[in-house]
Amino acid sequence: MIADWRERLRVPVMLMPAMAVILVLFLGGLIMGLMQSFGYMPVIGKYDFTLQAYMNIFTDRTFLRSLALTCWIGFASSILATILAIVCALVLRQGLPGKRLVTFVFQLNVPIPHIVGAIAVMFLFTQSGLLARMAYLVGLISEPADFPVLVYDKRAIGIILEYLWKMTPFTGVIVLAVLQSIGEDYEDLARTLGASAWQRFRCVVLPLIMPGVLRASILTFAFGFGAFEVPYLLGQTFPTALPVLSYLFYHDVDLDARPEAMAMSMIIAGLITILILIYMKLTETYVRAD
Amino acid sequence: MARKLFVLLGLLMVVALILGACAEPTPEPTEAPPEVPAEAPTEAPTEAALGLPGELAGMTWEEVVAAADGQEVNYWMWGGNDKINAWVNGWLADQFKEKYNITLNQVPVAGPTEFINQVLGEKEAGQDTDGAVDIMWINGENFRTMKDADLLYGPWAEQVPSSDYVNWDDPSVANDFGYPVEGYELPYWKAQVVIGYDTAKISEPPRTMEALIQWIKDNPGKFTYPAPPDFTGSVWVRHMCYYATGGYEQFLGDFDQALFDEKFPACWELLNEIEPYLWREGETYPETNTALYELFAQGEVWFEMAYGVGDVRAKIDSGKYPETTRTYVFDEGTIANTNYTAIAYNSPHKAAAVVAANFMASPEAQYSALDAGHGMLSLDPNLLPEEWREKFETYPFGPAVVPLDVLATHRLPELQSGWLTAIEDAWRESVLEQ
Amino acid sequence: MAVMVAIAIAIIVPMLPLITWSFSFRWYFPDLIPTSLSMRAWKYVFSRASKAPQAAIQGVQISLVATLLSLVTGVPAGRALGLHKFRGKKLVQFLILAPTIIPPLSVVMGIHVAFIRYGLAAKMLGVMLVHLIPTTPYVVMVMSSVFANYDPEYEEQARTLGAGLLRTFIHVTLPAIFPGIIVGGMFAFIISWGQYVLTLLIGGGRVITLPVLLFCFAGSGDNAVTAALCVLFVAPAILILIFSSKYLTGESAALGGFGA
Repeated sequence: MIADWRERLRVPVMLMPAMAVILVLFLGGLIMGLMQSFGYMPVIGKYDFTLQAYMNIFTDRTFLRSLALTCWIGFASSILATILAIVCALVLRQGLPGKRLVTFVFQLNVPIPHIVGAIAVMFLFTQSGLLARMAYLVGLISEPADFPVLVYDKRAIGIILEYLWKMTPFTGVIVLAVLQSIGEDYEDLARTLGASAWQRFRCVVLPLIMPGVLRASILTFAFGFGAFEVPYLLGQTFPTALPVLSYLFYHDVDLDARPEAMAMSMIIAGLITILILIYMKLTETYVRAD
Repeated sequence: MARKLFVLLGLLMVVALILGACAEPTPEPTEAPPEVPAEAPTEAPTEAALGLPGELAGMTWEEVVAAADGQEVNYWMWGGNDKINAWVNGWLADQFKEKYNITLNQVPVAGPTEFINQVLGEKEAGQDTDGAVDIMWINGENFRTMKDADLLYGPWAEQVPSSDYVNWDDPSVANDFGYPVEGYELPYWKAQVVIGYDTAKISEPPRTMEALIQWIKDNPGKFTYPAPPDFTGSVWVRHMCYYATGGYEQFLGDFDQALFDEKFPACWELLNEIEPYLWREGETYPETNTALYELFAQGEVWFEMAYGVGDVRAKIDSGKYPETTRTYVFDEGTIANTNYTAIAYNSPHKAAAVVAANFMASPEAQYSALDAGHGMLSLDPNLLPEEWREKFETYPFGPAVVPLDVLATHRLPELQSGWLTAIEDAWRESVLEQ
Repeated sequence: MAVMVAIAIAIIVPMLPLITWSFSFRWYFPDLIPTSLSMRAWKYVFSRASKAPQAAIQGVQISLVATLLSLVTGVPAGRALGLHKFRGKKLVQFLILAPTIIPPLSVVMGIHVAFIRYGLAAKMLGVMLVHLIPTTPYVVMVMSSVFANYDPEYEEQARTLGAGLLRTFIHVTLPAIFPGIIVGGMFAFIISWGQYVLTLLIGGGRVITLPVLLFCFAGSGDNAVTAALCVLFVAPAILILIFSSKYLTGESAALGGFGA
């Protein structure tokens, strides 16, 4: 009897500390944010329960442009990183350098946080940055204004570049691992059956690497959409990425902006979840059951 | 089954914590400090109680200094200038320790909103006695915001010894952007807008706003200004508005919407007119003054502007700007203001804060900080002892700094903060988003 | 092979300007090397005046504690997920991984007021706690995959031979999961070390770590000091990576590193 109880408690007890962190800090924070977005802020004596904050921001041009920009950043960085990573992995698996060596190379920027990556982008890609100076050296431009605008620009190119730099190795390692484990047999078979390279890729390789690609691109999108540091450093203030906008609203001296800041936070969280669910649904057909 | 129990327990914990956090703050309302100073005894002046409010009530200066002994002071200030930081954490901190046994703890922030939000957040959460902020380097709209929201301790500034050197009759000192100080902050530095240029590129800069506008049109792509609400960008727009609307005198009072709507469109017209001749054709503006300084340093634009008189000199010394950089002011003058130190209402180290602020406004500290390019003297030279007056008059500023007497005679006042917000908002609407 | 070298270059090269800028004095367009070099930025960074040494120490303290705490919570959770089947497992997995998808900023903005209320704001402890939100999922992920490959039979055997609970853990379990602990701990440290906005929000200016200082200077235009701070900031993380590199396997490493 005692053994039975101990046995049953084992798993919950093991999970308890981690779940405490998740439930109290994570879920607790989310719920509190949600309540504050409805205007429920007892600390300053407000006990509303209204969707006013949401209605305000959805009619605010600044918010809508931020939303558009953030979607753009999220999609562009995850799609580009994924494609780039797949291409790299495909090329690399033929060369056959040691697996450990490749893994090591792909992990080189793991310890370098995004902030530092953003500062590096700043030093390299601004109109008076190092790439511009090299362009001057080879005579492509004659003054900084001739160099294309890549940082602090409305297409968030600098931001996307930083995400690419950090995320591509991450996806690449996963894809490469899968490619190396399945070997080339299936493709050889398909080739003898007359399939072209593109057909081989689409019908053989892609479904096999899809689960890994799915995981990686989901995380890349979630990060690109919800991250704060890089757009704060490399972006313009209008329009700015949504996480930065919500942070700015949170710090607005006018406390009426606070529910709106929370509403934006909730929308960020909600949108990421919804988009990911849609993405998973759409790629279901490609994913082979484990 | 047991698993579900634990999930339930966890959720209960979450709910309990949320309810706890949302509970009413302790019923004690924050009392506004009493406006009436305590009665001063009529003995010898050094024995008189200062008349400070709150926990320092009834204390003499000696008692305040004694209370400050061993305390710590958290000084929240803009942290983006390494020379100023070095002075604060070096000389100033050492002086505090030596003279008063106060430990100075600099809290570098990116902007005033950080400490405003800190104190505001603490007040919301009912944290009235043990705040994280003691002293702040502050002025303008930020001071007004904090004073209006009862976030400041005071009045104290007119009772401290250094106050003897402050000319409280000067309206630009007694009013912070048109808003009466009323003893809630003590002058720290005076700032005046100066314009920087590289003598290697421009031998003779345009001396009036009119000449500058012509220069911009003749040299497309070589000028820009930071986008309001950046502090420096905002003051630059005000300069152009003073010029376009025919003068600042008409706007010196409270904000007048009708007057604003009548006069300021001339300003937006001017700004839109020069826009195509600006850097990047005015499609975008540098977001901060720092961004502008980087453009200037790299030669992308040929002018910069700053509130800090010694700013350019500091940048030359740090290697950011070429040695050939110089500064100047317009013949018609540039805008100047005073900035101050203020004390948070819930500072746990009020004695040390008062002593610290007093020292920072003393001639000794003001003189030492000139080396750090901290700004101009905010004390009135006429109220200073002879020896200090001479020292300030003969300080070697170097060629990149406009001489003090030139600055003093080419000075324009700030407007009240109500005008500032209107101008900043209208700029975004009428100029940026066109 | 050439492609791999190109990739390695593409990854490392962006870091080189940081080193050059940190030693530069007067470096203008279009020069490819500085007009002159100087130790100004480095001298400043290592001096008390910059607050960098204090920030580094505080950062190490915070990250070490956050790492320890996330290991303490993550190892048992990883075991539960890796070795056991139970009802609601999918839900638990989803919950534990949620912070990797939902940005921690959204969560922490909500919890900030509570932290002020309970006196956790503007304190190291508050910052340490809040760092647990992004670090715990990664530790759990690593440990659960470690435990999935682990055979609890050995523990059984040790117990039948008379070893107590503690001895079994120390001599049987721990050595087997040790690589996972190193890797998980490494991720936790690097993630916590690189946190900016969480520390800024909860730390309220009283808790200053290197990222906070870095942002301050990046926004101030002093490129040399910014670059020097970057190098100082990255150094410990790189050291830790080198130290634990022999324990890394490809996928798990990149996975954790992504969160940094």
